[in-house]
Amino acid sequence: MGGLLASTLVYGLVNSVVLLLTSLGFSLTFGLSGVANFAHGGLYLLSGFLCWLLMHRVGLPFPLAAAATVLLVGLLGAAIYRTVLMSVRGIVLSEVISTFAVGVAIVEFFRWKGFTTYDFTLPALVDGSVDILGVTVDWQRLLIVALGLALTGLLWLFTHRTMVGLALRGMSQDEYTALSVGIESDWAATLSLGLGSALAAVAGIALLPLGIISINIGYDVLLIALAVTVLGGLESTTGLILGSLIVGFAMVITGNYVGPRWSEVVYLAAIVIVLAVKPSGLLGKSKELEDRV
Amino acid sequence: MSSPGRATRRERIDRGIKVRSDEIFVLASARDLAWVLLPRALAVAALLLFPLLGARVGPYWQTVMINTMVIALLALSWDLLASVGLISLGQSLFFGLGGYVAGALDSFAGLGPLWSIPLATLLGAALATLVLYPLLRLRGVYFGLITFALPLLFMRLIETTGALGGTEGVSGLTPLPNRTVEIYLVTAAALLTAFAFRRLIATDYGLVFHAVRDNERSVMAAGFDVQRVKAQAVFLAALPAAFAGAFVTHRYQFVGMTAFAMEYSTLPLTAAVVGGPGSFLGPVVGSFILVPLSEAMREFGSLRVVLYSLMLLVFTVGLPEGIFRFVARKYGQFERRVAIEEAPDGR
Amino acid sequence: MIQTLRTAASLALAALALGASPARAADTGPIVLGVPTALGTIEGQDSLRAAKLAVEEINAAGGVEVGGVKRKLEIASIDTREAEAGVPVLDALAAMEKLIDEKKPAAIVVGSFRSEVLIPAMDVIAKYKIPYLCTIGMAPGFEPKIAGDYAKYKYNFRLGLSAPYLVGNIAKTMGFIHQKLGWDKMYFVHQDVAWATGTAGGVAKLSAAAGWKVLGNDAYPTGSRDFSSSLTKAKAAGAQVIVPIFDMPESGVLVKQARSMKVPALIAGFISPAAPATSWATFNGEIGGLVNFLFEPGSIPLKTPRSEHFYQAYGKAYGEETLRKMSGHGPGPSYDSVYVLAAAIRRANSLAPDAVVAQLEKTDMDGAIGHITFNKNHQVPFGDDPKKEAVTLAFQWRDGKRVVVYPESVAQSHIEAPR
Repeated sequence: MGGLLASTLVYGLVNSVVLLLTSLGFSLTFGLSGVANFAHGGLYLLSGFLCWLLMHRVGLPFPLAAAATVLLVGLLGAAIYRTVLMSVRGIVLSEVISTFAVGVAIVEFFRWKGFTTYDFTLPALVDGSVDILGVTVDWQRLLIVALGLALTGLLWLFTHRTMVGLALRGMSQDEYTALSVGIESDWAATLSLGLGSALAAVAGIALLPLGIISINIGYDVLLIALAVTVLGGLESTTGLILGSLIVGFAMVITGNYVGPRWSEVVYLAAIVIVLAVKPSGLLGKSKELEDRV
Repeated sequence: MSSPGRATRRERIDRGIKVRSDEIFVLASARDLAWVLLPRALAVAALLLFPLLGARVGPYWQTVMINTMVIALLALSWDLLASVGLISLGQSLFFGLGGYVAGALDSFAGLGPLWSIPLATLLGAALATLVLYPLLRLRGVYFGLITFALPLLFMRLIETTGALGGTEGVSGLTPLPNRTVEIYLVTAAALLTAFAFRRLIATDYGLVFHAVRDNERSVMAAGFDVQRVKAQAVFLAALPAAFAGAFVTHRYQFVGMTAFAMEYSTLPLTAAVVGGPGSFLGPVVGSFILVPLSEAMREFGSLRVVLYSLMLLVFTVGLPEGIFRFVARKYGQFERRVAIEEAPDGR
Repeated sequence: MIQTLRTAASLALAALALGASPARAADTGPIVLGVPTALGTIEGQDSLRAAKLAVEEINAAGGVEVGGVKRKLEIASIDTREAEAGVPVLDALAAMEKLIDEKKPAAIVVGSFRSEVLIPAMDVIAKYKIPYLCTIGMAPGFEPKIAGDYAKYKYNFRLGLSAPYLVGNIAKTMGFIHQKLGWDKMYFVHQDVAWATGTAGGVAKLSAAAGWKVLGNDAYPTGSRDFSSSLTKAKAAGAQVIVPIFDMPESGVLVKQARSMKVPALIAGFISPAAPATSWATFNGEIGGLVNFLFEPGSIPLKTPRSEHFYQAYGKAYGEETLRKMSGHGPGPSYDSVYVLAAAIRRANSLAPDAVVAQLEKTDMDGAIGHITFNKNHQVPFGDDPKKEAVTLAFQWRDGKRVVVYPESVAQSHIEAPR
């Protein structure tokens, strides 16, 4: 069963990066502004349909449509902060509820408009496939792996090496001190929402070509993002990578050696168990008495 | 609005009777008593008389009434959890556990609804407490996330293992005698829960709940076991929700995976937010607005979900205190316009 | 907010008024047919279109004569949203109850979409006692439930395909492949829901008896988007045929992934997104060679007058585009169900449920899906001869066209091995 082992390794990695890419935007927004953006799944779905509409209704070529989608969805994210979140900032429950409402409204709007037929696909960026360790993988999946890793790296550089990124992190670590050195809180949050949403769009455009765009992806993506980020510990990039690897490999290993029907149970159970044992996630900052986020 | 030339502003003044009934607890006259009791008495009377209308309202609106009460029970449960600072995004967990326990008791043990509903209420709540117990250390978003994931985990478990009927569910359960019984049963449960929770939160015991929500550390310092308090709150909160699950299971003679469906989490949450969290009557009022409205919009298909999520958004952002508090405040105050003295040409 | 409240209040009042005056004037008015189904799905939408088409045709011919009065038919539909994530079965049942309570339909056509809703819906129908002609839900539990308590469940009929017949027909197609191509290694991949699990298990059993080696049978939870583990195993074990049984849109990934992983096997089974005529374009032509089933004829017509009439009338009524997108499950039987019902009402000369049920049981007529009769458990039998029974079609995608390869009585060509 050497083939199965190789396949586990290759597809485990692919699956992990798919999860990583899916949740990158959610994690970034949470890490930088403390807002759990429950509209993440809705934005992901929106970018798929928006890109399709730009290509088939407006007639833009794919690269242009993709770029426009990322930009528009990013702007929408920023607009969500300005119109909705700004007035409930800091009230966790209200942030979650209002972004969740936005997400549901987006998903159900498309359902209402009849986007349920099997006509919606995005083209793969590259065609063809290649053999790695005797396992056949298509270029699109490899591209996703490269994109996921590159984006994660870039974001790390952005948040640790650029002035803007440092300002954002400063705001998330200690709001009062950040304010006192002249960083504007709302500006930082708007930017982090915009960036997170644009990342959701990038993920959508890279991942949706693997299949067809179906409405319920909107809810699934939110769940995946929650699972992966919570598992690794919110606000930690390493945690996010670790979380994706654990969930990604757990799903593929169960799929290959136990049976695919168990894979979803395994990852949901993983979250529950990890949180029960270590409430702040694997790499989250644990505090003894209280304030465990 | 403003009379020409003179700018005015609104001034709100508490009615005298409100001050007395809130602070001093001396109600002097029949009029005072009526002022305090009438709204409650009218609401309760309307609820109790509704089923007697019978055929005049038609079976459909009776069904709507039952659904409203079911959502109200779940929203009440949500509100009690919120009062210890646990924000639940997965009320369907309690609903589903109650429903499945009732289904199993009726189908495999052959107990009728007379036994299975009360037993499922207790067992379902106990199970829910057991499941949540190790997770009670979580707070804020983390607790919300985990409650969001738990019903899905149960759904997947049932799907994967095929236990308890698997994806097909358990059908052909014993029905309740008739619709009048159904309405009275669920109405009584909702009223009982609402008033019991209100009473509970006003006692010393309930005060600890609020203290845990506001400042866990000081509760610990006072010598309370926070984990224990939270577990008790979860059990109490799970009771009405598990009852709702068991009740609905018998009403439709069916329980399936979708007892854990997201709608049993989002509707109560919306009802609580619309009605106003923290007052226990708010969530009930919220259900009475939300459920009939969403029924009236059923023709619009998915659009109604869009509309009610927008409603949720508008209330969260625009009227966070909720309708109940808003109306109650208006009821206890009167308004008049007074001139703004120092602004000669308005603002 | 005030406005919406006011609207809700007036709606409530209107409903009160309706409830107060019993609908007595209905003896000469239109006969209402209820359509409670998942209108957000293409199967639901197309089925509603097909039923409406039949109603219009019957009305254009003067309607249905009951008790000496020619009465028109009328469709009242409601969206049960049952296919949507997070919608409880009970909410779908509540929608159906609402339709029955408010519109007082004489019968229900199309009916539940999901098996999980269909089974408890039968209990609701038992309560209201109106004829229920179901065309989408495939629950295997339908027939046993009627057999178990005939008096209670006799109002339920099914014109759509049921899982046991699908099993028979897929198994026959497999037998065909075994014979013609000499293959004997198969691998099952199916959705983890009752009808698909039952179908895959049934086909596996029958095929094993017929000389196939079943290499694997994997279940995927609804919504899965990575099928690499089964594909790897199937490829490694040298499967010649992969049999997928899925009705979720995400199963489109399976087809694409099998292609990109260069799995040399023939894919033959049911994958809903690869069934409509438009899916060649959706998948960029990457589904060449795929064998898919149309649960009932409609989207591809049989060579019978009724079936071709339906195909053409549907195109004329809703346009070429809608015709090309027509789902492979639902529209055909939904169209027929209205005709079957109208004929039964005519023969019964009454709308009394028991009289109509008695006549429905005697149904013996040609329809878009083949020849329609009901067996003793109120299911239309599906076989391979459209003159005797309803049929299920298998087709193979070749150069953007769907070529019918099964059953032999209507086949245009034989199954070909993938290139």
